[in-house]
Amino acid sequence: MPERPLLKICYVEDDDDIQRIARLSLERVGKMEVSIIGDPTLALDGILAFKPDLVLLDWMMPVMDGPTLFKRMRETEGLRDMPVVFITAKASQRELDELRGMGAAGVLSKPFSPKDLPEQLRAIWRRLP
Amino acid sequence: MTSGSAAPVDLASTRDASARTEDVSGRADPQRVLADRVEQLYGQMPLGMAAHLLIGGIATYELWDDRTRDLVLFWWGLVLLVTAARAVLYFGYRASASKLVEAEQWMRWLAISALASGVTWGFAGAVFFPSHTDEQQVFLAFLLAGVASAGIPAYAASWPMFAMHAGVIVLPFTYVLANFGNRLFTEIAVLVPIFYLINVGIAYRLNRVFLSGYRLRHAYDRLTEDHTRLNKQLEQQIEDLQEARQEVEASGRKLALFAERAPISVIEMDANSTILEMNPVAEHMLGYSALELIGRSALSTLFPADEATLTPEWWAQFVARRLPANRVRARCLRRDGLEITCEFTITPLVNKTGDLVSIIAQCQDITQQLEAERLKKEFTSTLSHELRTPLTSIIGSLQLVTSGVVGEAGGEISELATVAERNAQRLLDLINDLLDIDKIESGKFTLQPESVRLDELVQESFVLNKSFADRFGVGLEVHGAVPDVRLHVDRKRLMQVMTNLLSNAAKFSPEGSAVEVCTTCVDGMVRVEISDRGPGIPEDFRARIFTRFAQADSTTTRHKGGTGLGLAICKRLIELMNGRIGFDARPGGGTTFHFELPVLVDAVST
Repeated sequence: MPERPLLKICYVEDDDDIQRIARLSLERVGKMEVSIIGDPTLALDGILAFKPDLVLLDWMMPVMDGPTLFKRMRETEGLRDMPVVFITAKASQRELDELRGMGAAGVLSKPFSPKDLPEQLRAIWRRLP
Repeated sequence: MTSGSAAPVDLASTRDASARTEDVSGRADPQRVLADRVEQLYGQMPLGMAAHLLIGGIATYELWDDRTRDLVLFWWGLVLLVTAARAVLYFGYRASASKLVEAEQWMRWLAISALASGVTWGFAGAVFFPSHTDEQQVFLAFLLAGVASAGIPAYAASWPMFAMHAGVIVLPFTYVLANFGNRLFTEIAVLVPIFYLINVGIAYRLNRVFLSGYRLRHAYDRLTEDHTRLNKQLEQQIEDLQEARQEVEASGRKLALFAERAPISVIEMDANSTILEMNPVAEHMLGYSALELIGRSALSTLFPADEATLTPEWWAQFVARRLPANRVRARCLRRDGLEITCEFTITPLVNKTGDLVSIIAQCQDITQQLEAERLKKEFTSTLSHELRTPLTSIIGSLQLVTSGVVGEAGGEISELATVAERNAQRLLDLINDLLDIDKIESGKFTLQPESVRLDELVQESFVLNKSFADRFGVGLEVHGAVPDVRLHVDRKRLMQVMTNLLSNAAKFSPEGSAVEVCTTCVDGMVRVEISDRGPGIPEDFRARIFTRFAQADSTTTRHKGGTGLGLAICKRLIELMNGRIGFDARPGGGTTFHFELPVLVDAVST
């Protein structure tokens, strides 16, 4: 479990409405510092610049999907060990298992509850080695 | 004197025959052979007795004179007595019902009678020869020689009997001749035993011929019986074979009809995959006529060069193993070049000796089915994503409003936002239920079982459903102690079942009442009962309560909420976890839903 608390979150999500809800949830309920990136192709630079504690990744995004971005992060110096939580509207158990198998710190389902999202992320944060 | 006139019988040919048929003779029943010999001997008796009387009468007449009158009369009386005794024996034998079983006994009696007959003539030779004239002596010698040699055919079936009969005639006579004091008679006395022995030898050999004949007859009888029996068996077998052939032909016609009319392609091949026959559906599926394909290799004609499953190596292994192969999917090339995906069931036909007769491949074109499956999967995935994404925004926004995160909303605004959130949640539940039932029914649903404590499960279900029950003014209560056991179940899915049953019970309970949960453990099964005091389940709805989209009354759905899929999903989930689910009308009103699941054995409850 990391010694410091979870304070900085970077969320890569293409849907504007969900971006806004997530920001409200994490900032107002979770009291966290949030950076939202809408274009996954710009995510690597954005994450490197923001230096979050944890990255929240949507799965299905145009141009580059979440798993692809995740693989790129694993190949990028400085992001290799960054904890990543996927958040997806996909419901298949096989697909969720696939994400966990890739090395994600956690997988959350959409729709998420804005009231509970910060606490769900903190629970995952506490389980990290 | 005796049988010097009897020519030696040429037995060479019969000896050869005996040798040739040695094996066959061995098959004769000895008791039957003995009975036949006895029958032969008794068959000679009437002639023997008649001759005995006739020759005895002539001898009495010839030897009659005043000096020996009493002796001749005594002898004649002896002849009559012996003949009478033999007649009694003869008729006794003829009347007997146990000739076969008691053949040996009849043989013994006959030997005694032959001895008695011989003694009669031996007596005549010994007593009358010395006391009569020369002419009468010649007559007597002639008589005795004739009687003795006549014994050869009469006793041909038993040479010891002949030897005994002739012996008692010849021996006293020889003794008389030897002691007569005449040189000629002394010489004759020397010759008589020699002739006697020669006759016994002839009788012995004749006896062997008879024996061989009897044995052969019986052996052939037995062979004939065997032959008749075998013939009958053969006839029966031929009849059975003909019936079997007719059945096989009928089956063949039936099979041909099945293959021809079956809505599935059937192709017959040999071990080299050479096509021997195919049905019209196969012709239609592959775009070839049967005549074009028969004689060609299926492997090189029907499958593309880069086909990965049905390769020549796979085929060689299949032919070597000779075991049926089911659900083999492979790409096939139609005559028009179109590639299709087929599912094969390939069965080797092997005869009793293990030889491969032919190979039957049944196949279906599943190209469209696979495409439909792919589209369905894509549709389900898209449906899931495209419906959940806007719902995330809707539910998220409404939750932010109702929870006051973005500021306090006024009374009616807050109330309407709550209504909107609740209905968005219902929409989400419906989507989740539809996805669940689709996964379960397509067999793609996998459980993630783990060890779960029953008391924790009940407690957690109460925490999750309390706020829902509160909305209806209904309490949740546990009745009795929860057994200290563990279950090997998918926690999330079992919680889904509990939530469904608890929320149903809460929805239909009257305000102010309580939903009761009772747990018991019997015979390795945990039983969980969830009881309400609702209106109960209508009689006409009970049979279909666990079917999809089952609702007792569609107005209830609108009033109470629900997708009509919940109980169908519960039933399938419980069954997937090796349990069973049901319900009973509750005494005093209401319903008890219950499910049973196996207890995790050998688990330490901690």
